Amino acid sequence: MRVEYTADGIYLPDIGLWLDPRLPVPAAWLSHAHSDHARGLHDSVIATPITAQIYRHRWPLPPDRSQQVFTLVPNQSMDWNGATLTARQAAHILGAAQLLVEYQGERLVYTGDIKRRTPICGWSTEPTPCDHLIIESTFGIPIYQFIEVHEAQARIANFARECLDKGITPVFQGYGLGRGQEIAHTLALHQIPCRIHGSIAGLIPYFEAQGYTFPQESENGAILLTPGLEEKLPIPPSKRKSALVSGWAALDNARARANADVLIPYSDHADFSELLTLIGESNPSQVDIVHGYAEPLARILRQRGLNARAALVATEVQI
Amino acid sequence: MDQLAAVAERVAATSSRNEKIAHVANYLKTLDDVDLARAVLYLSGSPHAATDPRKLTVGYATLRAALEEVTKWDPETLSLCYREVGDSGETIAHLCRPITKAEPLSLGRAEEYFELLQQTRLTRIKIDLLATIFQTYTAPAIKFFVKTITGNLRIGLQEKMVEEAVAQAAGRDAEAVRAANNRSGNIARVALAARHDQLQTIEAALFHPLDFMLAQPLDNIVDLADPTEWYAEDKFDGIRSQLHVANGKVKLYTRGLDETTDAFPEIILAFTNMPGPVILDGEILSFKDGRALPFHQFQQRIARKKVTQKTINEIPVVFLAYDILMHRGELVFDQPIEHRRALLECLNLSQLSVQIAVENHAQVEDLFLAARARGNEGLVLKKRGSLYESGRRGANWLKVKRPFATLDVVVTAAEQGHGRRAGVLSDVTFAVRDGDRFLNIGKAYSGLTDEEIKQLTKIFRAGAIERYAGGRVQLVKPEVVLEVAFDGMQKSPRHKSGYALRFPRIIRWRQDKTPADIDTLARVRELFEKV
Repeated sequence: MRVEYTADGIYLPDIGLWLDPRLPVPAAWLSHAHSDHARGLHDSVIATPITAQIYRHRWPLPPDRSQQVFTLVPNQSMDWNGATLTARQAAHILGAAQLLVEYQGERLVYTGDIKRRTPICGWSTEPTPCDHLIIESTFGIPIYQFIEVHEAQARIANFARECLDKGITPVFQGYGLGRGQEIAHTLALHQIPCRIHGSIAGLIPYFEAQGYTFPQESENGAILLTPGLEEKLPIPPSKRKSALVSGWAALDNARARANADVLIPYSDHADFSELLTLIGESNPSQVDIVHGYAEPLARILRQRGLNARAALVATEVQI
Repeated sequence: MDQLAAVAERVAATSSRNEKIAHVANYLKTLDDVDLARAVLYLSGSPHAATDPRKLTVGYATLRAALEEVTKWDPETLSLCYREVGDSGETIAHLCRPITKAEPLSLGRAEEYFELLQQTRLTRIKIDLLATIFQTYTAPAIKFFVKTITGNLRIGLQEKMVEEAVAQAAGRDAEAVRAANNRSGNIARVALAARHDQLQTIEAALFHPLDFMLAQPLDNIVDLADPTEWYAEDKFDGIRSQLHVANGKVKLYTRGLDETTDAFPEIILAFTNMPGPVILDGEILSFKDGRALPFHQFQQRIARKKVTQKTINEIPVVFLAYDILMHRGELVFDQPIEHRRALLECLNLSQLSVQIAVENHAQVEDLFLAARARGNEGLVLKKRGSLYESGRRGANWLKVKRPFATLDVVVTAAEQGHGRRAGVLSDVTFAVRDGDRFLNIGKAYSGLTDEEIKQLTKIFRAGAIERYAGGRVQLVKPEVVLEVAFDGMQKSPRHKSGYALRFPRIIRWRQDKTPADIDTLARVRELFEKV
């Protein structure tokens, strides 16, 4: 099966399907609802029901437009131009999925963004053996090593508690969709009150619908913001402390970059060893690597005898 | 080392100076005497005391060879990992974490390893030793073991704060601990003495840099309340340095507290026969045909790695003394300036700064103009009867520079130039200091020579933290200090400092200064008030 890597996204010409395209196209698979993957009004979209819902929230359909939306729950299949498409769970954010494409006896898997560890919110990755794997490499070199989910949750809660006990406001920086809700949910599990920035709070109903709980709003709890807003808080720096919960927090230099005190290396992406695990479980004869450290990771894989190449698609980096 | 690493991580995770000191102090209290001595050294970023002549001589190449051996990563991957992390200790710790047996490393054991590494001259044996360490101990212990070797913990803990922690842990006066460490250069002995209430027994030692007394800027000569309280000396455009002499041994230390002895052999030769022990404070200047050469010419001398006779003939240097810290083995900090000056004059130095007791504002103005006419920066005013306040920027020394001020700033980002400068990082964004933070205040495009730009480009590439626009713009480690001149100042939301400079231009690259020495936001505000 042919795969084309273009500036607009990844395209499967044999079956006329784009994977997370950056511009409007006739037909697109949306791996998850982050706006660098699910964007624009395509004529047809295929996604999991949760991804489709959040995508609709962010890209409402104008009254004069129509769009065909096909939803696939994990392990549900559909026929598409002579191929069979199957959604497979991906651990990343709520609703994220890998796409298995079976076409003329060949199995291709597009992971989208993915990790192997269990997420705080969302489902676990279902390993999917295939012939041709397209995988991301946001953290694809060996210095990136993340912590387990329970460890991350313990550190989030301990940081918040220690600050509150000292009369200091704990501030978390988290991305608007995914990390933000995971931190909030963790605080709820530990009965720590918090104030949540609107861009994170606005998407909480989708998480509540999946059974996740969230903390009560309180004036004197933790503060949860998207990155870059901390400077604007009306709290003097001596009265607050900031934690960065991110894959970038694996390196000490994240402290200066994100203006954070405490680093919690928890990500919705795979760290280096998880990537190796994921690739090993898929056991493909061809690996294409997109995003991040594509070339360095491809080189490392080639040294280990895999048929791997970097297939770069420009994307935005998120914290 | 594991406990020390845990404390160091806690220190890194707070920006509060007091909290950092408290974390260290609480840790020091738990240690017995031998471990206390080790811990304060390592936390100061060195396996040995400053006065210890032993050097570890473990370079980056050696660390890297050991890392390559134990991790089996290819050189390209290792280089990339190092570039992304920006610190040897941290890179090595990350890469060894999956392969090490993760045994705890005691401070005593760490000291044994430092000894072994120091004793052997063979690189092969050093690599074997490091390889063993990298495969045996926990990642945090490896991280801080290596950081102690490379000499910078990067946890925002200056030696001054270790001194304060020592004082706090022992329940002693911080100033007494600081003074003892300043005179002895041995934080390990000072920590023990502080614990056992014997700080007064700590003696002065030569051959480690003592803290310099610094001058406050005076923007306007008429602001001087009573001119008759002051002496005036020319402010020279050289490198502030300290000269130590004892028993025919001579060493030079600069403001960054680095030893620069080897760069200036003619100065060493000139002082070899001076009776010591003596410590002088002064300026390294290039002097030819009876006057100081312009700084940019002098800088060519500083940039030379190898000093040949030809270099010495082309750009000869001298040490011009203006104060004395030790005379015949006795510290004379606490003697008034008049007494120190008398001691200095008795030494029959060939280069001694001229000191003039001033009487009125007009005379200060005349002296200032005369100093400028001689090619010097301006004046330093020193208060009559004042003591040498080591490590202070007090009100007893004032510097009078250009009519409109310059700022010492640190470069935070560098950008590729255009045309002839397309291949080099010539356009720099710079910042002033506010506590631990660096706040951008402007951008400059001109003032450096091509050769300087070439050298700086190398430094910026090595210190890149983040790249944008395909590498055209790089955020860099704040390490390069520049002096910038400007014609005015205004408030501006464009830069983090909240101010912008009018027509900023680079006067020169201050290789003699570290980011800790640059001008502060408070200074910027003060200048702004005067515009």
